[in-house]
Amino acid sequence: MKASLKIHLSGIFLIGMAAWFISCFRENPNSLTSEVLQVNNYPLVSFRILLKVGSAHDPAGKEGLTRLVGRMLAGGGSATMTAGEIAARFFPMAAGVSLIADKEMTVFSGTVHLDNLEHYYALMKDMLLNPGFRQVDFDRLKADQLDFLEKTLVGDDDETLGKEILNLVLYEGHPYGHHDAGTVESVGRLTLEDIKVFYKEHFLQGNIVIGLGGGYPDDFLTRVLADFKKLPEGFTPGLDLPQPRAPRGYEFIVAEKRTPASAISIGFPITITKADKDFFALWIASAHFGEHRQPLSLLFQKIREERGLNCGDYAYLEHFVQGRDTFPAPNHSRQQQYFSIWIRPVANANRLFVIRETLRELKKLVAEGLSEDRFELVRTYLLNSTRLYAQTLSEHVGWQMESAYYGYMDFLNEVPYALGELTREDVNLAIKKYLNERNVFISVITEDGEGFKRELLAGAPSPIRYAGPSLPEAVLEEDRIIQAFPLDLKPDNVRVAPAAEFFRKAGLPGRPRGN
Amino acid sequence: MPKRFVLALAASALLACPGRSTGQEVFSRATITDDLPNGLKIITIPVQPSKVVSYYTIVRSGSRNEVEPGASGVARFFEHMMFNGTRRIPRAAYDAFLTRLGAGTNVIATDDFTAYGIVFTNPDSLADVIKTEADRVINVESTEDSIRAEGRTIEGENFAAVSNPDRRLFEILRAAAFDKHPYRRAAPVSLTDFRDLSRRHADSLLYKKRFYAPGNTILLIAGDINRDELLPLVRNYYGGWEASNFTLQAPAEPPQSRPKRAHIEWPAKTLARLAIAFHGPAYSDKVRDKAALDLLASAAFSSSSPLHHKLVLEEGACLSLGTNFPNTRDPALFVVTAVIKNDDDIPGVEDAILKELERLQHELLPARALAEITSNLKYAMADSLSTTDGMAGTVAFYLGLTGDPGTIHKLFNLYDKVTARDIQDMAKKYFRPENATIVTLKGGKAK
Repeated sequence: MKASLKIHLSGIFLIGMAAWFISCFRENPNSLTSEVLQVNNYPLVSFRILLKVGSAHDPAGKEGLTRLVGRMLAGGGSATMTAGEIAARFFPMAAGVSLIADKEMTVFSGTVHLDNLEHYYALMKDMLLNPGFRQVDFDRLKADQLDFLEKTLVGDDDETLGKEILNLVLYEGHPYGHHDAGTVESVGRLTLEDIKVFYKEHFLQGNIVIGLGGGYPDDFLTRVLADFKKLPEGFTPGLDLPQPRAPRGYEFIVAEKRTPASAISIGFPITITKADKDFFALWIASAHFGEHRQPLSLLFQKIREERGLNCGDYAYLEHFVQGRDTFPAPNHSRQQQYFSIWIRPVANANRLFVIRETLRELKKLVAEGLSEDRFELVRTYLLNSTRLYAQTLSEHVGWQMESAYYGYMDFLNEVPYALGELTREDVNLAIKKYLNERNVFISVITEDGEGFKRELLAGAPSPIRYAGPSLPEAVLEEDRIIQAFPLDLKPDNVRVAPAAEFFRKAGLPGRPRGN
Repeated sequence: MPKRFVLALAASALLACPGRSTGQEVFSRATITDDLPNGLKIITIPVQPSKVVSYYTIVRSGSRNEVEPGASGVARFFEHMMFNGTRRIPRAAYDAFLTRLGAGTNVIATDDFTAYGIVFTNPDSLADVIKTEADRVINVESTEDSIRAEGRTIEGENFAAVSNPDRRLFEILRAAAFDKHPYRRAAPVSLTDFRDLSRRHADSLLYKKRFYAPGNTILLIAGDINRDELLPLVRNYYGGWEASNFTLQAPAEPPQSRPKRAHIEWPAKTLARLAIAFHGPAYSDKVRDKAALDLLASAAFSSSSPLHHKLVLEEGACLSLGTNFPNTRDPALFVVTAVIKNDDDIPGVEDAILKELERLQHELLPARALAEITSNLKYAMADSLSTTDGMAGTVAFYLGLTGDPGTIHKLFNLYDKVTARDIQDMAKKYFRPENATIVTLKGGKAK
C-alpha cells in the first residue's frame, strides 16, 4: 500500500532561512522533472542530476555498462575539453562531479560556492550534455573498472566483499543480481560504441530529474531546464522486476581467502519499501535489532559489548549506504529491498559461534518482538536522530528526491507523524508479517572454506574461548545455549568458492544452483 | 505544488572571490573563549539559525602522549573507557541518555588528541548534556579488569582492519621512518600492548591524571546556544575538576641519516602501492615550512597537477596519486602515495615522483598555480564550514592541534604569504635522499 501524500508543516526546526521546496510533478512522462530548493542568500549551490537508469538496466552480457557510462561522463572529458582540462578548471573551485551508481538510478552531484556557479555549471553542462567519449578515456576507465573487480573488490576490504556477495546471492538471476561494476567477463567485452549507444538510448528528458538547491539566482533554474530540454523527449520503460528467490533454510555462500578474520553478511529479500505504510513499524524493529553504529543495536550489545568479539554488529531494512558521519545516504532508492545484518570481522575460530548467536537473536526477534520499553526507546531515538539526516544543502536536495521517488512530499517531515501513530503491537505484527528467521542467506569471507563447510554440516557445538577475564555467569550460560544452536544443514546449503572467482562471470562461481 | 519549507542551514560567512590576499576571512564566525580557574578552556560559537547543537570534549592527548615504556595503547584504552560509563552514570544510563537524545556521536582520534563529539537537535537538553559529559570525562575509569576486558574488545575491533592493504602500508612506513618518536606506532595497537598495560595499571592512572585533566582539555559548544546561559552550568559541573600541571616532553626524533626502504607482499590480489616519505615539519600558523609544503603537495600531486595528468590520465600507470601530510603537533611525515596498476611500473612511478620533487627544488612555481591552490584550499575549507556540525568538527580539529580557535584564520593568512621561493626553499630543505623512507606493496597471486 502506498503511503498517502500527507503534508505536515512543521515548526520543529528553528526558522532562519525560508526556502521554497518545490516538486515539479510531471504530467508527461517524456519530459524533464525537477526537485528544487532555493535558499535566498545562501553561499552554496548543490546539484544532483538524477538519471532514472541504473545497473538493473544493463543489457544481458553487458553488465557494468551503466556505471562505465557514468564514469565516462563524470570523469572522461567533454567534446570541448579533455578530462585533464576539466580537472584543472574545477581545481580552484575545490569542486567536481561525483557519481552515485545504484541499481535503478545514476546520480551526478556536486556542490559549488556561489562565486563559481557560472563556471562550474558551464563545465557540468558540457560534461553531461556534450560528452567527449574519447577512446583514451574509455580505455583508462574500463581498465580501472576491471582492476576494481579483479583486485580491489576481492583483495582490499573483506567486509565490502561480503556484502556484495550477499547481494549476488540475494538476487541470483534477477536484474539486481550483478555488481554495479559488472563482471570481469562482461566489462572486458564493452566497447566505446556500447557507451555511445547507451547514452543515446537513455539520456532522454523523461529519465532525468534535475535536483538543485541553494542560493542560485532567480533565472538560473530556467536556464538549467532549458539546457536539459535540448535532450530528446522520451523515457526508458520502468523495470518489471520479478520476485527474487526466497532462500530455502539457511543458505551459506562461502568465499575463501587467506585471512585471520571472517566477515559475515546475512540477509533475505523483503516485500516492503519506504513507500509502504508498514515501513515505519518495521523500521522500529530493525533499529532495535541493529541500528547502524549505535549502542542501541541489540546485536552490538550482545556480540561486541557483552562478548568483545568484533567492532560492531548492525541490521538494515533497506540497502544501506553510509553518507556523512553514520547517517544513511539518500538516492539509492529501489523498488525492491532486502533485510540484512552486518557482522564485522570476527576471529576465524569464533565465526560459527557468532553466526549461531546472530541467527538465534533473529529467531528471538521474530518470535518475541520488542518489549514496550524498547519500543518507546527506539521510537524516541528515531524521532530525534532523523532530524540530523539532512544537514548539508546537498543532503536536503537528496532527501527531497528520495521523498519524490517513494511518493512523499517530504519523507523526513513525515517521520514524527508516522512514528507517533504506532504502537508496540503494530511493530510486532510487522515483524511477523515481513521478517523470518529460518530462510536466510549467509555470506562468509573466511579461510579454509571446505573445513568451515565440514564444521557447518557436522552441526557439533562450537564453544567459544575468551581471552582476558571471565565473563558474567549469565553470559557464559547463554554461550552454552548459543554454541549448540541447531543449523540442520545439508550439503546443498553450503556453497564454497575461492574469493578471487567471484565477479569474474555472471552469477555465482562453483556449481550452479537450480531455482 | 509549491510548499513552504522550513530550513535551517548554517551558512558560513565566506570569501567572495578566489585568489590571494583578498582580505576576506575563511572562518569569520565569532568565537568566544572562556577559561575556568582549573585551566579548562571553553569555546562557544553561537550559530543563528541552526537546528543543532554540537558539543565537543577535546582531550589534547593521543598516542603521542604514550611516552612511558609499556604504556602504548593507553590512549586508545581511554577512548574506549569514555563510552563505558562511570560510577555515577553507568554505561547503560549513558547509552540510554544519548539514545533518547537521538544524538549523533563522533570521535576524532589522532596521534595528538582525542575529541569526543555529540550532535543533537533539542537545545533544551543542553543542561543535561553538560552535566553528563562533565561526569564522563572527569570520572572516566581505569581498573585492571576494565583494561583486560577492553583489550578483548579492542582485539575484536582490530579484525576490521586486517584486510586493508593501505593500513598495513602506513604501519610499516611509520615503523621504518621513526626510531624514537611515538608517531612510529600507527593505530591500531596490538593486544600485547594491553597485556603490558594491565600489568602496569598504575601507568594508566598516571596517564589519566596527567592528560584527562582540565588544563589539557577544551570544550567546544556550537550551534543553537547562548553562551551566557550555559557558562554557569559549565562552571558548576566542571569547576571541581582537579587541575594537573604536567607538561609532556615527547621524545625528539633524531635526524634521519640514511635512506630507508621496506617492502610488503600482500597475500590477496590487490593493486600495487608506493609510499615515498620524508620527515617534514610540524603544523604551524607562524613558521612557513608546513604551509609551503602544503602548497607544494597540491602543486605537484593534486588532480590538476602535471604529474597526475601524466601518470593517471595519459599513461594510465596509476589509479591514483596523492599525498598524506597531516597537521601534527610534532614533526611528521610528508608522504606521496600512488596506487599502481602493474607491478612492473613501480620503479618508473617512483622515479617520476622523485624527479618531480627534484624539479621543484630548481624551478619556481608560477604565480597562477599558487593562486589556484590557495583558492582550492579556501573553497574546500568553506565547504567544510557550511553546516553547524561540519564547522564544529573542523574547529575541533584545529583546537586539538593548537588550542587556539584563531589558528584557521592565521593559517590562511600564512598561505597567502607563502612565495614560490619559500616553496623552493622547503623542497631543498626536506626532500633530501637521506631523509627518505620508501615502502612498496605488491598484491599476491593467491586466491
